Amino acid sequence: MPETTQFGTAEDNYGDEGALKPNTILINRYKVLGTLGGGGQGAVYQCRDLNFPDAKRLVALKEMHYPGDASMRATTMQTFQREANILATLAHPAIPKIFDFFDQNNRAYLVMEYINGNDLENLLTKTKELPLDKIVEWAIDLCDVLHYLHSHSPDPIIFRDVKPANIMIDSLGKVRLIDFGIAKIFVSGVKNTMIGTEGYSAPEQYKGDVNPLSDIYSLGATLHHIVTRKDPRLEPPFSFSERPLRQFNEKVSPGLEAVINKSLETEPANRFSSCEEMKQSLLAVRYNPAAAQAQSVPGAGAQTGMVGTDFFDGEDLFGSIEPRWKFKTEDEIRGGPTSFRGLAFVGSYDTNVWAIDIESGDFRWKYATNGGIAVAPTVDEGSKLVLFGSEDHSFTALDYHTGRISWSYTANDRIRCTARVAHDHVFFGSDDGRVYALVSGTGRYLWEYDMGGPVRGQPYVTRDLIIVGAETGDLVGLELSGQRKWSYRTRRAINAAPLVDEIEGICYIGSFDGYMYALDASSGYSMWRYRTNGPIISAASLANDMLIFGSADGTLYAINSESSKEKWRFSIEKPIVSSPLIHEGKVYFGGTDSYFYCLELKTGKELWKFQTEDSITSAPYVTENVILFGSMDRTLYALPLVD
Amino acid sequence: MDLFRRIFGGTGEEVPPEQPEKTPEKSKPPSKIQTAPGLEEKVAEESKTESGDTEPLDDGVTSEGDAPQVQDPATRPVGPPPPPPNRKFVPDGVTQPLNANALSVGRTEHITIGLASDVGMVRNNNQDAAFSMYCSGRSADDLPDLGLFVVADGMGGHNDGEKASAITTRTLASKFTKQIYMPIFASDNEDADQQPTTEALIEAVHEANREVLRYVPEGGTTITAIAIIGDLAHIVHVGDSRAYIMTKEGGIEQLTRDHSLVQRLIELDQLTPEEAEIHPQKNVLYRALGQNETLEVDTSSRRLPAGSNLLICSDGLWGLVEEEELYDITTNNVDPQQACDKLVALANTRGGADNITAIILKIS
Repeated sequence: MPETTQFGTAEDNYGDEGALKPNTILINRYKVLGTLGGGGQGAVYQCRDLNFPDAKRLVALKEMHYPGDASMRATTMQTFQREANILATLAHPAIPKIFDFFDQNNRAYLVMEYINGNDLENLLTKTKELPLDKIVEWAIDLCDVLHYLHSHSPDPIIFRDVKPANIMIDSLGKVRLIDFGIAKIFVSGVKNTMIGTEGYSAPEQYKGDVNPLSDIYSLGATLHHIVTRKDPRLEPPFSFSERPLRQFNEKVSPGLEAVINKSLETEPANRFSSCEEMKQSLLAVRYNPAAAQAQSVPGAGAQTGMVGTDFFDGEDLFGSIEPRWKFKTEDEIRGGPTSFRGLAFVGSYDTNVWAIDIESGDFRWKYATNGGIAVAPTVDEGSKLVLFGSEDHSFTALDYHTGRISWSYTANDRIRCTARVAHDHVFFGSDDGRVYALVSGTGRYLWEYDMGGPVRGQPYVTRDLIIVGAETGDLVGLELSGQRKWSYRTRRAINAAPLVDEIEGICYIGSFDGYMYALDASSGYSMWRYRTNGPIISAASLANDMLIFGSADGTLYAINSESSKEKWRFSIEKPIVSSPLIHEGKVYFGGTDSYFYCLELKTGKELWKFQTEDSITSAPYVTENVILFGSMDRTLYALPLVD
Repeated sequence: MDLFRRIFGGTGEEVPPEQPEKTPEKSKPPSKIQTAPGLEEKVAEESKTESGDTEPLDDGVTSEGDAPQVQDPATRPVGPPPPPPNRKFVPDGVTQPLNANALSVGRTEHITIGLASDVGMVRNNNQDAAFSMYCSGRSADDLPDLGLFVVADGMGGHNDGEKASAITTRTLASKFTKQIYMPIFASDNEDADQQPTTEALIEAVHEANREVLRYVPEGGTTITAIAIIGDLAHIVHVGDSRAYIMTKEGGIEQLTRDHSLVQRLIELDQLTPEEAEIHPQKNVLYRALGQNETLEVDTSSRRLPAGSNLLICSDGLWGLVEEEELYDITTNNVDPQQACDKLVALANTRGGADNITAIILKIS
């Protein structure tokens, strides 16, 4: 906490706070009219110069306290006088003139030009927004004055303390740099735990290394603050890069953003080499309507095939790579594909499950039900069966090789829930509100559990629990015997499949209420929830501590699975319903904007996208160096995996 | 024996002959069964009685329409136990292999607690605050063990520091108990307005922050708290007090990140940890309660393996006692109270420049 320094109040001239009372006259010349700012260590007074009895000449008086310690006092006094002498020789329109300096009552005083205006700190609180073109002009002038100081001979003068409170905008709208670091001579070391940091200082300043590049950092920090209006003193130190300028102020041009970012580089060597260089860069990004227009050229037009982006030139690396094959069914493909022993299986709303050779894309067999198929087929590797439900209420098991029916089971309503095979059983839900457990090899009925509303999200089966959600908004953990162990209620329907991190025992589930929830998988107690702006239908995918999922708000989110802190997000213009797939450092997903996307897992940067002719609603699937996904354009696509 | 087979029965009348041989005893599930004998017996009993009542069903292919429509929770002897553990996540659409070692049921068998808070050798008041609460029970309700452990390190003159840390621990305990523990006691997990645990922790810290701003405007405090529900530890943290987890296998691991200027400089490779120890501004925090209306709060969750130790402490301890020593003293003393006392004593022999607070939990 800031500790208030107490000092002698014996003198009549000082008020309760130790500040000079109005009408006090110093060295028979300066009459105090009032306090301009500060208090304690850094008080600044407005005074009238009595040497000019006929003119009301105003000056500013900066007051600093000498330390109580006698030996310290002598050194401080010497330093003060030396620095004051230097300041008195400076001549630059942005630097207030120093008229005089003197000591009185154990305090040092600088007599300076009085500036009528507001400091930037003040302007920040008084205004909602400062015009960017003005900010750039001020920044150019600040570079100019800092360059003047840094070019001082014989030794460069480092300002050390560039921050909004030290920058005045005078009555003519011109920048004036006030409060030179001279005050720092008077501050003695503080030992107690303190809260709050200077916020604008460069990292190297904390190692005692101060050079012209430190002033560049502080100027960048100041610009960052006034542009984003995020006070760095309230944020972790040196965290400007975590608050991208354009995210907080969309009017900032990429050019200006680049200049400010460069001045804020942690390593001094990566910043501008001088204020003059920074000034030249700012001159280049001065508001210029023609240039601004040229920067917002829209991306490549819509066409089928790979489309290059800002980050990645698709043309070069992919050329005109075509899908390895496409397979057209007779109606929409709403559920994802799966595969087994060289065959891909996909259900179509044309009532068929199709088996296609993964190598050639050739048709192998199809099996027709009496209703559309809206789910992804599931393979039971043990019994070599392909299992799926249909809108005709049936749940069917086919021999993977021949497509011949092995067994079938009928629910009381349509089945829009992809099945899960585990423990030699198959678990699936139906719109009749039940979760069914059958022996996967034979179809023998084991139990059913009444969820009270349609069950559409694929169940997740752990070693000892079946976790499944329903349109009632309930998520339940069922024991393998079909007994309920726990239940958790979200605010709206659950249509998504739960994902369980079996190492940590955490279950992730998205709901129509827009939240992604993390629950203790063994008890159902909730740990955190993360809010999106639309229903979550997409299941989450997990890689290390990155949880990735889409929302109907059109955004794919990547958050830390432990803390629920956002790592990155990627937005498209339409809802994301498809569950993302993580494979070798990349994220694949389809959008209802008809594109299939590939992003870099770490950063969320778009690597490429591929356009189909209709929405993509189902999860992709990777096998044998191809990515399979279905689109509502009726087609199953097989794209080659490219490194 | 595998829990799955216990529940579904285990005589294996339908199991192909070669399959039981593929299921050696080592596929036995982990700690769940060992740490929760009551549960296992219950399950085993249920499965015994139920399988006794079960009529054998025709095992042939069910043709369309003739499936049983009545609910039949019967347990039936079926196939082989799960395949070996597989740590990989399989994308949607792929059959999920079973993980025999994962997901033990959330119950710790026993937690012992130690707590010590000392003014140190230099200061004349103790601005630290510590809070400890633990409850457990065994009943058919199967309620999880619950605990809340808090260390807060107050700052500010005129007794403001101790006021801020005291208000903070009390507010956190009161808010969190009401939001999370009371509904658990009421066995109510189906209220859709029920807050997730870490959200409730964050909100409780925000509430404490408002209380400090209101009643101790010149004071501030850190907070590091761990809420335990079953075998999950939920950590909430602001400032430079710390939480550590210590296990035989993993050694000592810091669960929190100091919100200090020097820690940031270390993370940016601008300072070495050795330089940080003697840095004149090593006590400068950039985040604490009582500073501002808005406050960013760190949270994380950890599953607690049996045999692990948790330590929550103020900088008066970690500033003077090396991590290795924290580990040795915490793990070598069976009694956590003794461990806490020894840690405090060690910090005091090294000057005790600040207040020293330690809470140790031993999970067995």
